[in-house]
Amino acid sequence: MIVYAAIDLRRGRAVRLRQGDFAREDVFADDPVAVAQRWAAEGAPWLHVVDLDGALAGAPRHLDVIGRICRAVAIPVQAGGGLRRLEDVEAVLAAGAARAVLGTGALAGPLVRESVRRFGDRIAVALDARRGAVAVRGWQAVTDVPVLEAARRVVAAGAPRLIYTDVARDGMLVGPDLEGLVALVRAVAVPVVLAGGVTTLDDIRAADAAGAEGVVVGRALYDGRLRLADVVRLPGVR
Amino acid sequence: MEIAVVDYGAGNLRSVTRALAAAGGAPRLVTGPDGLAGAGLVVVPGVGAFAPAMRRLRAAGMVEALRAVARAGVPVLGLCLGMQLLFDESDEGGGATEGLGILRGVVRRLPAGVKVPHMGWNTLEVARPDPVVAGLPEPAYVYFVHSYAVQPADPAVVVAWSTHGARFPAIVRAGTVVGFQFHPEKSSRLGARLLANLLAGLAARAAR
Repeated sequence: MIVYAAIDLRRGRAVRLRQGDFAREDVFADDPVAVAQRWAAEGAPWLHVVDLDGALAGAPRHLDVIGRICRAVAIPVQAGGGLRRLEDVEAVLAAGAARAVLGTGALAGPLVRESVRRFGDRIAVALDARRGAVAVRGWQAVTDVPVLEAARRVVAAGAPRLIYTDVARDGMLVGPDLEGLVALVRAVAVPVVLAGGVTTLDDIRAADAAGAEGVVVGRALYDGRLRLADVVRLPGVR
Repeated sequence: MEIAVVDYGAGNLRSVTRALAAAGGAPRLVTGPDGLAGAGLVVVPGVGAFAPAMRRLRAAGMVEALRAVARAGVPVLGLCLGMQLLFDESDEGGGATEGLGILRGVVRRLPAGVKVPHMGWNTLEVARPDPVVAGLPEPAYVYFVHSYAVQPADPAVVVAWSTHGARFPAIVRAGTVVGFQFHPEKSSRLGARLLANLLAGLAARAAR
């Protein structure tokens, strides 16, 4: 079980949204690099960085900040948000990310296949769901594509890892969508990382038992409800 | 082919049974020795630690039953911890815990200085030709989660190695007993290919 500490970027700052709603943004820090250093110092094994402006715009907007985060910490960073072209995937990896997270752009077209051919295991695909259907463009739109079907499609295209988020739970501290996770783990033969709503140590244990490779923890860390020191002491967590 | 997947409480087996079904098998979960009857393949899955797994197998009466089916020539596939359980003993958790002893050798921690668990995608290095590894792409990536690895008494059982700090056996095969240290059910198309290869090989053998 790998724990990822989340950092969401908007206008250069570290923010948390509620349910992906850009109107319900809490700014947690003006300097995301300092946040990254704090999570790293507290024992985070990985960082999960999302360029929210990039996700909205469909092209990266925070490559510089992502680069500074990657240089400031010794732990690996996965980063995404607006990666819809191979050049952008390459750019975020060149900025220092250990892994690029594809979102919207991965559903249609050859991006997954081409990215995986170029970068192999350094690619993950984010599947963001609202009521079982895939949400796109920074979660501002919902498609009619069921999550499981989208998952099978991107795995067939070579995706070596999925990151599953139930948008309705994100930032709400209500616990993750374990049912959706279990369905996904059964449906595809690649590791799945769970995000959205992870609030307690029990959520993390349950995600582990349900077959998640890892969990992304966001608001609960910023609120102080979860402490990384406690999280990384769980058996099997790193 | 009927496949008995040994369910001894070692976590979520749905992705394992699903992968075996996708590879052309007819898997069923079995919790006791009776369930092994008629199986063309017995799968020992596993996540977690060696000693508790052996305790649960013993409590279910499965230790002798698994030894007996292997002796009788029924093909056995161990996955991840399940592969380690096939060997003589492990020092996981301190001391020596007796394993199933179907294959000769021991289980030891991955070398000091490397990140454990070894978690993620890694390549297979094929050691010798075998139907299980027929037609693999190059490089062949599979998905691992483990902190211990087997050290077979006879290195000739190793079909493929992988490397994490040091080389360790990723696939072993001695006759009809096969072990995968990685998780084929999480290894995408290559995992499916390896399972399909194995099942096809067993079916061809059964037809002879």
